[in-house]
Amino acid sequence: MEGRDDGGGKVIGLIEKATKSSAQEVDPRLLKAIKLTLRYSDSEVRLGAKTLMELMKHNHSQVRLLTLLIIDELFMRSKLFRTLIVDKFDQLLSLSVGFRSSLPLPAPPAVATTLRTKAIEFLEKWNLSFGLHYKEIRLGFDYLKNTLKLKFPDLQATAARRQRERLEREERTKEILRSKFESLRDGFGVLKGEIEETIKEIKEGLEIVQWRGDDGVPLAILDEEDYEEIRCSHLRQIRMDSLKQSDKVEETSENRVVFDVLREQGKLLMKKHLVSVQEGISLLIRVDVSDNRTRDSMLKELIDIRNSILATEKKCEQAGFIISRMIDTGEKEEDEDDIWEEDDGKVGTDPVKKVAPLPRVQNGEGSSLQSSSEAKRSTLESSSNKASSTKTARRSGESGDPLRDKLISEAPVMNWGAQLSNWDSTTEVRANHRGLEVESHWGRVDQDAVIPADKIAELNLQATVYREERTEIPPCHAPLKKGGLCHRRDLRACPFHGPIVPRDDEGNPIINESSLEESQNQTSSSTTGISQEDDAPMDETTSDSDPNQLARQIAKQALKNIREKDREELRKIAKRAKHAKVKEHNFSVLRDAALASTSKSAVIDEEFDRVFAERKNKKQTFSLARRKKTTAKDRISERLSSNRAKGTKPKQLPQGNDDEKYRETSANHK
Amino acid sequence: MWQAIQSRETGRTPSNSFANQLKSRRISSLQLSNRKDFVSPHRGSVNSLQVDLTEGRYLLSGASDGSAAVFDTQRATDSEASGLIAKHKCVFSVDKGHEHGHRFAVSSAVWYPIDTGLFVTGSFDHLIKVWDTNTAQAVVDFKMPGKVYRTAMSSLAMSHTLIAAGTEDVQVRLCDIASGAFSHTLSGHRDGVMSVEWSTSSEWVLYTGGCDGAIRFWDIRRAGCFRVLDQSVTQLGVRPPILKHTAVNSKVSAEKSSSGGKNRLKTLQSKHTGSQNMKGSSSAKASVEKSRQKRLHPGMLSTLDRATAHYGVVTGLKATNDGMYLLSAGSDSRVRLWDTQSGCNTLLNFETGRLQTSKAIQMATSDDPALLFVPCMKTVKAFGMWSGRTTLMFRGHYESLNTCCFNSTDQELYTSGADRQILVWSPGGSVEGEMDQDEEVAEDKDNWSD
Repeated sequence: MEGRDDGGGKVIGLIEKATKSSAQEVDPRLLKAIKLTLRYSDSEVRLGAKTLMELMKHNHSQVRLLTLLIIDELFMRSKLFRTLIVDKFDQLLSLSVGFRSSLPLPAPPAVATTLRTKAIEFLEKWNLSFGLHYKEIRLGFDYLKNTLKLKFPDLQATAARRQRERLEREERTKEILRSKFESLRDGFGVLKGEIEETIKEIKEGLEIVQWRGDDGVPLAILDEEDYEEIRCSHLRQIRMDSLKQSDKVEETSENRVVFDVLREQGKLLMKKHLVSVQEGISLLIRVDVSDNRTRDSMLKELIDIRNSILATEKKCEQAGFIISRMIDTGEKEEDEDDIWEEDDGKVGTDPVKKVAPLPRVQNGEGSSLQSSSEAKRSTLESSSNKASSTKTARRSGESGDPLRDKLISEAPVMNWGAQLSNWDSTTEVRANHRGLEVESHWGRVDQDAVIPADKIAELNLQATVYREERTEIPPCHAPLKKGGLCHRRDLRACPFHGPIVPRDDEGNPIINESSLEESQNQTSSSTTGISQEDDAPMDETTSDSDPNQLARQIAKQALKNIREKDREELRKIAKRAKHAKVKEHNFSVLRDAALASTSKSAVIDEEFDRVFAERKNKKQTFSLARRKKTTAKDRISERLSSNRAKGTKPKQLPQGNDDEKYRETSANHK
Repeated sequence: MWQAIQSRETGRTPSNSFANQLKSRRISSLQLSNRKDFVSPHRGSVNSLQVDLTEGRYLLSGASDGSAAVFDTQRATDSEASGLIAKHKCVFSVDKGHEHGHRFAVSSAVWYPIDTGLFVTGSFDHLIKVWDTNTAQAVVDFKMPGKVYRTAMSSLAMSHTLIAAGTEDVQVRLCDIASGAFSHTLSGHRDGVMSVEWSTSSEWVLYTGGCDGAIRFWDIRRAGCFRVLDQSVTQLGVRPPILKHTAVNSKVSAEKSSSGGKNRLKTLQSKHTGSQNMKGSSSAKASVEKSRQKRLHPGMLSTLDRATAHYGVVTGLKATNDGMYLLSAGSDSRVRLWDTQSGCNTLLNFETGRLQTSKAIQMATSDDPALLFVPCMKTVKAFGMWSGRTTLMFRGHYESLNTCCFNSTDQELYTSGADRQILVWSPGGSVEGEMDQDEEVAEDKDNWSD
């Protein structure tokens, strides 16, 4: 008896201590202690349940919340505790959910809300795990759910839905993989052919390089022949080393072209083909198709291809190129220059739909996958002429096709970027969710979301910012009194030295037409007599300060003036003609308008013609007609206004405008 | 358990008492049954429950959504959780969708006492309908002058098939199924009649409780009521031993001169109390009553007629199975036990707490142990019939209860109320329960993780 009391005191103390906190959760150490106490004693459980139920009645939501948390912990564990609690289950629910209007949850409201949600959550959990064994739990759950229509988190359904969604996602992933597999199978031959061709080209290129590098003696043969002669292993080693060393061919101006090709091909091979092959392999490993044999054979072939690619790479390395390094550093500037030029053409031609099918066909035969324009370019080159230099090849390609040149010339310049790699592609792209996977951070993440091709195209739309061409504003350069030249930079005229003219190093103006036109128009008015022949050399020569210069200048000015006059006259004539034209036009327009406005147009058409032929008459009649019209209109308005004004103001309104009248009348009404 | 069976076999305990022992043990261990669920088709509060009187198997329920349903209490329609929970769906139900269905709440649904071929429903749409159970069609209907609160059929009627109906109207009508007409109109109540109960000792005696607080006894063979229960007319003790002693003497003439017996009882009782005042008044009253009763039994139009059994509405009536007592519940939250013989209030205090006031409630009794089941708001309480003490509490409903029904064949209690559930309270720790106690389900074990 005493021991029980002791234990009782212990658990009660623990529980009360645990529920006194203001935290949102029960202190885990206390909770553990409570659990430990209750575990080994049924009487403790009874006492604990009683205490907890008492605490639930406490008129403070915080206490209730903590009590409920403890209850949940114990409820999930002890059967005896469950039976004890379940006996007063309706009470527990009404105290924790507060569904009875007579017994609302106590303050503070924030904690009360937490308490309620927690209680509902626990109820659902309990119902899931123990509902079958306790009718009371079922009843309470059913009542809250179906009668009070409380919203439960619906754990089970949520879990089921999640499961379903996962299955669907997997299904969709499979579907995507399958479609990828299909496309891979379709384009497998082409891919293989391309890769083989590339490898072959690299080999050939290597051979060429090595041939040249060794002064026309093929290394292999040399190696073969010498092999027998050199017995000593040490010597052979030296020989091999030297041979190897000699394998590493120096790039010279002669074999530069070949090197370029090699570099291109290597890049293509490593960057594109190897990647696509590896992708293919991983795809084949993951995909689940009925046609296993095809898949396996494809897989085998892909692996072979990969191996051969790697072997080629090794070979290249042995020969002195390191392709990967080449990709990184290499002779970038030069290469890139080429690429840029090429790209401009490609990019320009592709998006513009008005482009004739020709360039596209060209692209098509170049490479089917079009993964990068770089690749396109190199394959194009290789197909056109592999031995000759890249530049000449391209030049010839350009010049050979005028339409293409034209298109290239008018095509817009695009920035280099990732969007070029999937130009015009119609494949869907899977959305990138990186960074969104944090649970419930940004909402649910659909793992299989795909972005349709048109959306991708839309997203890849490039905005170009207009950049003004920077022009160097020339300095004034007029000689200053204190020496030196004026450094002001003005667009047209320097405030100190007048209009800006091109000057030489000492500050003397270099005279040409444009500068003279403005400055000396007034001063030299009408001097003639200098022939036109003098004009030509004067333009070319940069004039020095010789005495002849002024005369020449004057003569030139005179000539100009004469020309100006002529031009003026011509202009006048043109002006007159223009005036006449305008008049005629006006006349016709007016006539048309008149015709349209009159009802009896057909009858008085000719009369109008006649009337309009003479200007004066026309004007008069027109004004007459206008006056007539206005008077008719005025009559009505006058009558209206007089009617209106009668009662208020005896003032006779002149034929003013309507607004005024209105204002006055409204003022009167006020 | 086995010992008891053996002693019954050997004859040491009479078979009857063996059964009673078993039953009483079972009854005293009633608890919410986890194994048995009634799937309620009702969408309103359930107002009436009754187990049929012939087989004790079919449960009839009537609910506020105008529906009535019949359940088989013994055979489950399906089960859940690998047979752990037996689901009892209704055998059939009639509701508003039915062509003859009630339009408003069914306030009362009772079985035809002779067999399960008929049942009677009374509704707030002023109709009492008699249904053929097998075809689920209404065969007879009676148009009542107001809302029907309660219908009752006599469980031991051999010579009549009358439905007693308490309605909004002050008159109690007896509807004859055989003829399809009203055979009696019993007038006496000054307000609507909330509860109706046939005597369990005489097929001609009807008890009615009205909204005016009066409980009237009717002998349908005669005009008018023959007794109005008065809560102030009391006797101490349920039935004092002295009464038994005297009753033996006057047993022959007990039926005829009940007034005489009562008179004696009164005097005895006043002796017990020893109050002079009381004595005088009661004796005087008794003499007045005696003379009046002799004189004007039909009608009873006097001051006595104004006596009340409860302050407020008499919401429930229940006659004990032996027919000697009548239990009444009122909106004054009292349950009273009346001696039907003397018509006295036995002054037994039932610890009811609060009772439902606005609606008729349905009480239930069990014989051995003599328990009274009363719906007290959200719980059903079981009181000792002679002590008035609460022996059992049935908590489980989430809204107030209207009705409870005790199935004496299975010793099960059915309760239901405004939360639309029909709950089964069955004996716990039963024989079969003891047997499979060991194979406890894994999910419901202690699960201490630390």
